[in-house]
Amino acid sequence: MLEATIDASLLKDSIESLSVLVDEARVHISPEGIGVKAVDPANVAMVSFELQADAFDEYQAEESEIGLDLTRVLDILGVAEKTDKVRMKLEEDSRKLSISIGGISYTLTLLDPSTIRAEPRIPQLELPAEIVVNGKGFSRTIKAAEKISDHMSMGVEGETFFLEAEGDTDRMRQEMPRDELISITPGPARSLFSLDYLSDIAKPASKSNEVTLQIGNDFPIKINFEIAGGRGKVGYLLAPRIESE
Amino acid sequence: MKNRCIECKGKGLCGRARCPILEKFRATAKHSPQKQGEKTIFGASPPAVFVGRYGYPEVSAGPMIPPLMESEDAAQLEDPHALLGMGIDEIIQKRCQLVRANTTVKVKQFEKSRLIEKAQEMALSRKPVDTEVLLSKPLKPAQKFDGVLTPMGPAGKMESFDIAENPKVPGKVDYLTYDTDVKATDAALELYGHKVGCEHITRLLSIGLLGQETKLVPTRWAITATDDMVGKELSKGLLDYPEIKDIQLYSGGSLGNHFEILLIPRSYSFELLELWMARTVWSADKVWIGQDMEGTSGKKGYSPLAGGYYAARLPVLEKLENIRKQAAVFAIREITPDYWAPLGVWVVREAARNALSTKPDSFETLEEALMDMSRRINTPFYQWREKSELLPYVKEQTTLSRFLS
Repeated sequence: MLEATIDASLLKDSIESLSVLVDEARVHISPEGIGVKAVDPANVAMVSFELQADAFDEYQAEESEIGLDLTRVLDILGVAEKTDKVRMKLEEDSRKLSISIGGISYTLTLLDPSTIRAEPRIPQLELPAEIVVNGKGFSRTIKAAEKISDHMSMGVEGETFFLEAEGDTDRMRQEMPRDELISITPGPARSLFSLDYLSDIAKPASKSNEVTLQIGNDFPIKINFEIAGGRGKVGYLLAPRIESE
Repeated sequence: MKNRCIECKGKGLCGRARCPILEKFRATAKHSPQKQGEKTIFGASPPAVFVGRYGYPEVSAGPMIPPLMESEDAAQLEDPHALLGMGIDEIIQKRCQLVRANTTVKVKQFEKSRLIEKAQEMALSRKPVDTEVLLSKPLKPAQKFDGVLTPMGPAGKMESFDIAENPKVPGKVDYLTYDTDVKATDAALELYGHKVGCEHITRLLSIGLLGQETKLVPTRWAITATDDMVGKELSKGLLDYPEIKDIQLYSGGSLGNHFEILLIPRSYSFELLELWMARTVWSADKVWIGQDMEGTSGKKGYSPLAGGYYAARLPVLEKLENIRKQAAVFAIREITPDYWAPLGVWVVREAARNALSTKPDSFETLEEALMDMSRRINTPFYQWREKSELLPYVKEQTTLSRFLS
């Protein structure tokens, strides 16, 4: 059971934070809120998403799990204005979701959750360095790196966070000392990542003022930020590239 | 330098009216046993139909009939297993006996044509059908070769066409053809699921028997469309399967098409390298290497390796479906000078199937597997290794599973 009302733009941002990695998702619904954990088909990146009940204008739910075709939901949400409210109601048998936006009401047939990839096992990692940056700035650096390469490394030297890309012929480097960062916990770290994935992840992250990056040496990166004024959070984990000898 | 002939395979990109390479085979192939000056043809069609692509959407289409051939021999002409057992000479000789009896029709307006209607009826059959054709003129000896199509004999305009026995129609084929509620893709997949062969599905698709808005589909396109439709569907399903346990290497081939197929424990992706050695059908005096690949999200657009890409991919997907596992697949197709005449993409499909039917070798590391592979490939390692995009990706991009403690 689910009956909820939410800002159209918040719902859209939420779905987009998932759709950058997967087309379909199992959504876990509980009285406390909704949550999704999903891994991309290539098993390189995963996302965990939580939205608390109080991020909704109205929220009533019992424990259940539904399968969402994210592409279709996003398509439908395209008709909504930024200030619209979206009303969602899950039918009794959890097979259909009705979505009402400004007088228009859709009935969406849901996917059988068992046909969607199971929730991934999440690696337990201890990452030595933590940096908090502005989402917009982070996204800008990724765009800059994409111009010359398909991968970018991130690391910490002393108290400076650096981002570096090297293409066949050209190089790019950005250094951000402590006073240009929101915060930094220095530690030995340097890892290389695919820019395809980073730029997908940076899209939703760019809307956040504070994005927390946790990195290690040739280890996955954790990219976390809050949504809905702290009543929700999105976290990504991205496996590194390693340089072949 | 680019070798244009390999990419074109007789399509006419060089601007010549006739492809000089194909012309060579026309001259060598023998004629059908049809008597000179005879306008009537009797023979069992395998069954086979042909829809041309010149002049599209107004095309030549109709049945293919080997004059005076009995049903047992005719069945071989469309049966890849039977053809595989022959040498290239024999394949050409047999296939060139197929006369393309045709009529000119618009691909979307063929309902009124009695001749096409008869050809459709014949195409439903899974066994040869005795036929009789009256041509407007006696046949002139001619053959048709192409990179995708299987060789064929001379063509002639039909005056009349009759089938002399009832076609043997499999239940599923009967059920799904003429059903305009089912999309062509869904119908093709259902037929495939019920063990109807690719050749049969292609035939039905080509002669306008599948889909909501049926139309004739040039045979060349229908062959690749079938490989692609079935392949796409299989690849979607694979993503839910566990990865294979270790690195496996399959090796084999036929008719001068050698395959090395490497399965790597990763989520599904597929890369094909085509190595055309010097002095094969299409290559000149230098080796030519082509590459294409797809990741987990599948292939967008048409492959630069054309029909051969989809034909090589299908058996690989079938294999993975069979063992219910997924893998990153690195496949090499080396074409040796033994492949001296173009026989069509069925050769690619069957050569890959042949390789995949062998017992694979297992390896500890990717490098060991590649070294083993290179021993059976004539083209030097350094020449093809650097063309691969999949190998560096697999080596460099880690997956999250690696960090699960």
